[in-house]
Amino acid sequence: MHLALLYEQPNPSRKGGARFFPDATIAPEAATHNIIIRGKPIGGDMASPRPRHFRHVWEPSRFLRRTILELLFIPPICLLLFSLGVLFWGPHRSAAFFVTLLVALAISTALGWPIAVKLKRQLVALKRQRDAFYQEILHLSKAAGLGEVASGVAHDINNPLAIIREEAGWIDDLMKGGDLQEAHLRAEVLSSLQQIDFQVGRSREITRRLLHWGRDSSTRVEAVDVNQLLSKTLYLLEGELQATNVQVVRDFSPESPPVSGETAELRQVFLNLMKNSLDAMKEGGGTLTLTTRPRDRGVRVTIADTGPGIPPSVVSHMYEPFFTTKPDGEGTGLGLPISRWIVEKLDGSMEVETREGAGTAFHVTLPASPLPEAPPPQP
Amino acid sequence: MARPIRLLIVDDEKRFVETLSKRLSARGIYVEGAHSGMDAVALVQARPFDVALLDVRMPGMDGLATLREIRKYQPLLQVIMLSGTASINAAVEGMRLGAVEYLLKPASLDDVLPKIEEAARRKLLMEEQQGPGRPTGI
Repeated sequence: MHLALLYEQPNPSRKGGARFFPDATIAPEAATHNIIIRGKPIGGDMASPRPRHFRHVWEPSRFLRRTILELLFIPPICLLLFSLGVLFWGPHRSAAFFVTLLVALAISTALGWPIAVKLKRQLVALKRQRDAFYQEILHLSKAAGLGEVASGVAHDINNPLAIIREEAGWIDDLMKGGDLQEAHLRAEVLSSLQQIDFQVGRSREITRRLLHWGRDSSTRVEAVDVNQLLSKTLYLLEGELQATNVQVVRDFSPESPPVSGETAELRQVFLNLMKNSLDAMKEGGGTLTLTTRPRDRGVRVTIADTGPGIPPSVVSHMYEPFFTTKPDGEGTGLGLPISRWIVEKLDGSMEVETREGAGTAFHVTLPASPLPEAPPPQP
Repeated sequence: MARPIRLLIVDDEKRFVETLSKRLSARGIYVEGAHSGMDAVALVQARPFDVALLDVRMPGMDGLATLREIRKYQPLLQVIMLSGTASINAAVEGMRLGAVEYLLKPASLDDVLPKIEEAARRKLLMEEQQGPGRPTGI
């Protein structure tokens, strides 16, 4: 796959921000997507583009700028004192020089120390706020995820139901309108009955998917087999796959070690990424490739699509909560930020490779689990 | 009505199209079926229809995209959307694009048939209002 961009989003709590590797071959103006930034009612007012408390959680740079400005006052004060010392007590290294220096250092420490302590406290508070915010969002998105699956299941099950209804109606029409002793009418009835039976089987398969959802909603941290979880997550999207011209390629390495995490949370990550991929290929179809590889005492999961790719202008914002390019009412703008938060909580990392016109690949790297693997659930 | 209602059913569920066509044909409606948005657009380009029953979720060109396309060729065609889920967004978008009804699957023929007849009457009325000199798309 020829992918030209690499955007890496390391853990902000450890490294303090995102690195960005732009590619000169792709001009930002080449972006053609409409970007919609919307507010959501979670934790803030609808009128503002972002909820109020959220600004403080997610824009620490404003606070940092202010603190850095405060810190900038300290060196000039020290320098001023130092200059005064040199001016009054001579140009050579005298005792006065060292006294001045010591005084300057003492003042600098006295002024800087509380600021440094304040800075650290604020950063810890920001991190706590962020975690609390995402915990709340995760809780809501789990409920929303169930709602989405339920909605998908409702759709998928209504199609066979519609056929069953028409077949039953057709049998009724035949019985009212003609003599069922005639061979061709009997054949029609038989065909309809077979079709009803087939559609019932199809419906049963769909309700099984819902049962899987309930069964795999463990919120215990355990050793999770990513290959199995990816297959099960894909199974939940069966209906959507049928409604699109998307081929699925599974390239799972049996060497992939299990990872530590809550099955429900990890499934949320994979479900979000797969749904994004399917949405990207909704119009023109394509190939969804799921790859797992053992890597650096862990596993690397790649979810790649052959959609239109993500423009650089969107890539730089896509991890911001509430940022979405999906039509109004279809995207919450929380899928990617929540997924990255879950992955980083597990000491993993998430990277995206994308190229306009060629597709997008999300790489999720997770450390191997020290826990013994959980036994498979009883059917 | 002098001529039978010309109905186009668009749904990727082939068996649904087939059985519904048989049932509606038995009730005097001229029915043609399409299993994709592209097929529906080709049929609409080829000959006139009074009413279209259009599935919302289809692979490739979905119901809304199909609606947008077929309205270009036959602006007076009365489109009834048929969906497996009650999506408010799809319903609103469908109505905005000119659909006249939004029905949920599995709809009973007793519900669908009156809607088809009503839509066909509306189409006839609109044609009469436009007069013989005005083009109707086909």
